[in-house]
Amino acid sequence: MDNAISSALHFETMVWPWPIAIYLFLAGVSAGAVLIGIAVKLYRESRGQIGYESGIVKGMALIAPIAVIIGLAILIIDLTKPLEFWKMMIYWNPSSVMFWGVMLLSVYIMVLFLFLAAVFYTPLMAIDRRYPIVGTVLALLKRFEKPMQTSMIFLAIAVGAYTGFLLSALKAFPIFNNPVLPILFLVSGASSGAAATMLFGMLCFKEKADSQDIHFVHKIEKPVLMTEIFLLFAFFLGLVFAGGVSAEAARVALMGDFWSYIFWGGVVFCGMVLPWLLQWFSPRSLTHKPGFVAALCVLSLSGVFALRHFILYAGQMTAI
Amino acid sequence: MKLSRRHFLAGGAACAAIPVATLVTAEEEKTGKNLALVFDQTKCIGCEACSQACREANNVPAQVSRLNIVREGPYGEGNDKHYRFDRQSCVHCETAPCIAVCPTGACFRDEDGVVDVTANRCVGCQYCIAACPYRVRYVDPETKAVDKCDLCRKTRLKEGKLPACVEACPTQAVVFGDLNDPKSDVAKLLRAKQTYRDKVSLGTKPKLYKVPHGKGKVI
Repeated sequence: MDNAISSALHFETMVWPWPIAIYLFLAGVSAGAVLIGIAVKLYRESRGQIGYESGIVKGMALIAPIAVIIGLAILIIDLTKPLEFWKMMIYWNPSSVMFWGVMLLSVYIMVLFLFLAAVFYTPLMAIDRRYPIVGTVLALLKRFEKPMQTSMIFLAIAVGAYTGFLLSALKAFPIFNNPVLPILFLVSGASSGAAATMLFGMLCFKEKADSQDIHFVHKIEKPVLMTEIFLLFAFFLGLVFAGGVSAEAARVALMGDFWSYIFWGGVVFCGMVLPWLLQWFSPRSLTHKPGFVAALCVLSLSGVFALRHFILYAGQMTAI
Repeated sequence: MKLSRRHFLAGGAACAAIPVATLVTAEEEKTGKNLALVFDQTKCIGCEACSQACREANNVPAQVSRLNIVREGPYGEGNDKHYRFDRQSCVHCETAPCIAVCPTGACFRDEDGVVDVTANRCVGCQYCIAACPYRVRYVDPETKAVDKCDLCRKTRLKEGKLPACVEACPTQAVVFGDLNDPKSDVAKLLRAKQTYRDKVSLGTKPKLYKVPHGKGKVI
């Protein structure tokens, strides 16, 4: 078995190892958390409630910046010359997806912090009593909250899809070079964002497991998960229909050794089937327990985590 | 908003310029050379003098290599027993995926159509290694930059010599020259012999031409 795992992790055509999968996962979580957080904020505002008081919005404020920053740190450490990462900022190549990614993520992180400062204007104003300059800046940011919110929606969609485009530019690998991949990553990023904001909202900000906002996120989660399943279906059916190396890539991924177990066991069963079975068949008294909801969140997060690893490794196994 | 015809056309042209700009780079420098290699599989005897000469000429570290001769076989029986040899090295694509994906522009094509890497611009993201369909790029363990065959442009070409592999080959199985010059050795050979190139369906326009082995496989 050790040998089988070792051959699943190290094979001749492999270039990018697991740190890249973790980065893909974290960027997706960050983008998804922003989208879900803004959805909850808008939902609360439409009901006359204050956006930032929601544990989900606070969870977003915690997890979105941390995830993307850790992801980027991993990416930089994974360079062969980590100390020269700044060269990516000064040397440009507009035909490179990664170049656009560097630009996009820089803008994303910047706007994210400014947007969060505007959202948490009222609690942050406490600092104003000691440093009046902070209040002036915050007041200015507060005025731009709406346009920043709209930009954040577009930026988050772009970041979520970008991780897919990063791989789909690799034309020699049929699983990567696939137009469905960016959409699949965006949608699965959204479901991981939903799970992450709920989990951290409950753990760190005392959001109740049966609160109105959690119910709302659950309501968004359903169509998101259905879309994700359909996209996975379209993704692999498209590969099979393309024939040749593409069909072989799909066969190796879904019916091969190690990575097909990760797909069926990790992505499909733990990430999709099990959480929904538990949700449907558990008694109401259980589904409102924080531990239960947290467990579901952990399950769907690990499903998306497994999906990123599965796509990265299984994708590199079969090359034209 | 009122959109005038002029603004519409200008906007459309700007959008169209983005993909075209990346395509045009491959076509530019029409006046320069377009250096290429022909590898004759009927002549190669698999002695690997080429990869040894390459290693010495370019100081290629022992852990990596720019040029490999891949042996397949044996095929046939008795006197007909033979191997097939193939060359694995950078094919200097005219529309190179490595150049397209490199975030810092470290990968480039010089005015003679040689694809190369500027080592101090490379940050080692390895996107080009993943993007290259020919799997000929490696991280140099000393410089930590990505490297590969540069047709000896930094070493022997500068001195007016042929690439090391071409000069070292005892059977003249490797021919080097300018595709834009109809009188060059490669142009003459390409006119006279049937050749193929690997993975042309990917649109990379590779410039390592191969004269097929010729003998059939025993099934």
